[in-house]
Amino acid sequence: MDDEFILRTEGLGKTYGNGPERTIALDSVSLKIARGKLLALYGPSGSGKTTLLFLLGGLDKPTSGRIYFNGVEVTSMNERRLSRLRRNAIGFVFQNYNLVDELTVLENVMLSMMFEGKSEPKMRSRALQLLQRVGIAGKEQRRPSQLSAGEQQRVAVARAIANGPQVVLMDEPTGNLDQENSQGLMRLVADLVQGEGTTCVVATHNLEIVNDAQSKVFLRSGRIVGG
Amino acid sequence: MIGLAALILTYVSVQSLVSTLEINIAGSVSSLGGEIDVWGKGASYPLISKINESYAGVIKSIHGVALAAPIALAPLTIDSNEAVVAGIVPNQLPALLNYTMLAGTMITSNQSGILSIGKLLSATIVKQAGQTVLLNGANYSISGVYQTNSWLDYSVIIPHLVAQRMIGLQGGTSMIVVITNDPRSIDNVIGKIRTLLPGVDAFRRTDAPSNISPIFASLETITTDIIAIVTLAAVLGIMNSNLNNLRERMRAFAIFKATGASSSQIIRLVLYESLLIGALGTLLGLALSYTVLKLVSIPIVETINVSVILVPSTFIYAIILGLSVSFVAALYPALRIAKVRPQEVFRFG
Repeated sequence: MDDEFILRTEGLGKTYGNGPERTIALDSVSLKIARGKLLALYGPSGSGKTTLLFLLGGLDKPTSGRIYFNGVEVTSMNERRLSRLRRNAIGFVFQNYNLVDELTVLENVMLSMMFEGKSEPKMRSRALQLLQRVGIAGKEQRRPSQLSAGEQQRVAVARAIANGPQVVLMDEPTGNLDQENSQGLMRLVADLVQGEGTTCVVATHNLEIVNDAQSKVFLRSGRIVGG
Repeated sequence: MIGLAALILTYVSVQSLVSTLEINIAGSVSSLGGEIDVWGKGASYPLISKINESYAGVIKSIHGVALAAPIALAPLTIDSNEAVVAGIVPNQLPALLNYTMLAGTMITSNQSGILSIGKLLSATIVKQAGQTVLLNGANYSISGVYQTNSWLDYSVIIPHLVAQRMIGLQGGTSMIVVITNDPRSIDNVIGKIRTLLPGVDAFRRTDAPSNISPIFASLETITTDIIAIVTLAAVLGIMNSNLNNLRERMRAFAIFKATGASSSQIIRLVLYESLLIGALGTLLGLALSYTVLKLVSIPIVETINVSVILVPSTFIYAIILGLSVSFVAALYPALRIAKVRPQEVFRFG
C-alpha cells in the first residue's frame, strides 16, 4: 500500500492553546497522498491547510494521530531523523518564501545542501543549475530583497528542490503573485510532477491549481469535507 | 566584540602590572646577588626589614658559607629626587653584584662622602662621575656611574657603615645576603640559619617573590577577584548580547531548521560564529593592551617609575581567556536557539 502512497495520515489532530483559548486546527484528518502526483489542499482561510502542510513536512508535531512517510512513522521520529527527512526527502515552499535576507540568492539555494554536507563546488554547480531552471540566472549574488515577489518565489522553489526531495510541500505558492508569475510557477510544478515524478502537495486558493491537480482535498474547520 | 576587547585589556593590564611589580620587587632582591636572603621575620619587603648586623658573623661561621654580606636599604633624597640607597660593604661588592662601570670607579672604602650612582638615576639628576650630589642634605662626591640592568640603576651605593649612620641602623642592617661554597648545601645552610637565628627568616633568593607573600598574596587575591568579576560581567554581557542578536535572527535559524539543519548543526554554527567574533575581539584587546601598556610606566618605589613588563604568557592566557569567554557566553544562547520551532516563528514571528 505504501508503494502507492508516499504520505499517509491517520486521525491527525492538532490543537493550539488550552482551556477556553483552545483552538482545533485539525480534527481527525486521515489522508493518503499518491506518489508522483499533484495534490491540492484547498478550503477557506483558517481551515487548517497550513497546519496540515507543517505536520506533513515534519515542522510541527501533531496533538494526536500519526503520519507515515514511505511507510515509516514520522510522528515518532527523533529530532535528528526529522532533520534528515526535511533535508533530503521533503522540500518546503512557504507562503512568504522565507528566504534568508542576510544571504545571497545563491547561498539561499545552497542552504539545504550545506546542511547535507555537500562540497562547495557541488553545491554551487547544483544551485546555479537550479537558478537557471527557475529563470533567475544572473541574479545569484543579489539579496532576496532585491528580487520581485515572483522571483523570490522561484528562488524558494529552487531551494526546496535542491536536494532532490521526493515530496514538495507548497503553502499558497501563488498567493502573492500576479497571473503571469502564477502561471510560470504552475508550469514549474507540472514539470516537477510530470518530469521528475516528484509528489507535490499544494495548499492553495488558486482554482487553476486545484483544477490541474490529480487529487484534491477540501478542508473546512480542520476536517476533510470533500475532494 | 568590544566587550571582549575590554575584558582582554583589563586582564592584560592587571596581570602585566602585577607581573611588573613582582618582577621588579623580586629583582630588587635577586639583583643583590647571593643564593640565600636573610630578612627579619615577618618583614614583607627588605626595605622594612631590620636585623642585627652581628648575625652576618654568625651565618659566616656556618660550615659551607662563603659570604654573609649585610645590606642596608632605605629610600633617601638624592638632590631633589627620591631613590633607594643600598649600603654595601665595599670589599663584598664584587662578589655580590654583577655591574659594569660606565664612568669612574665603584666605592672601594668606608670613606664617607663618596657614592656610586646608577646610570638611570645619573641621567635623571644629570650628574656624572666626579660631580657632587646632595644625599639627604649632605654633599657626596660621585666616584663612578655603574650599570646593572636592574632597579639598582635608579639607585646609589654607599658603604654599609655610612648607610647605617644615615638610616639610623647602628649595629643593624636590612638584610644579609649569603653565598655558599657549594650550591647543593643551600637547603642545609638555610636550615642551620633558621635554627641558630630564630628571629630571622632565610630562604632561597629565587623564592624571594613568595617571601614577599603578604604583599603579593593580597595583590594576587585582589587581582584574581577583579579578573573574576570582570570575566563574569563579560560572560553575562556577551551572553545577553548573543541572546538579543540571535533573537533578532530567529527567523533565519527557523529557516535553517526548516531546510534541514539539525540542532547540533545550529549549535555548531552559533559557536563557530561566536568564536570567530571572539577571536577578533581578543586580537583587538591584545593590540589595545600592547599599545596602552607600552605607553604606561608605574612607580615601583617612591619616584622610581618603570615601564610595564609585558610577559608573553599573559598574552597567551589572554587568548585562552578570550576564546573561553566567547565559547561559554555563546553556549546557552546556542542551546536555546537550537530549540527554535520553525512553525512557531513562521506563524507568530
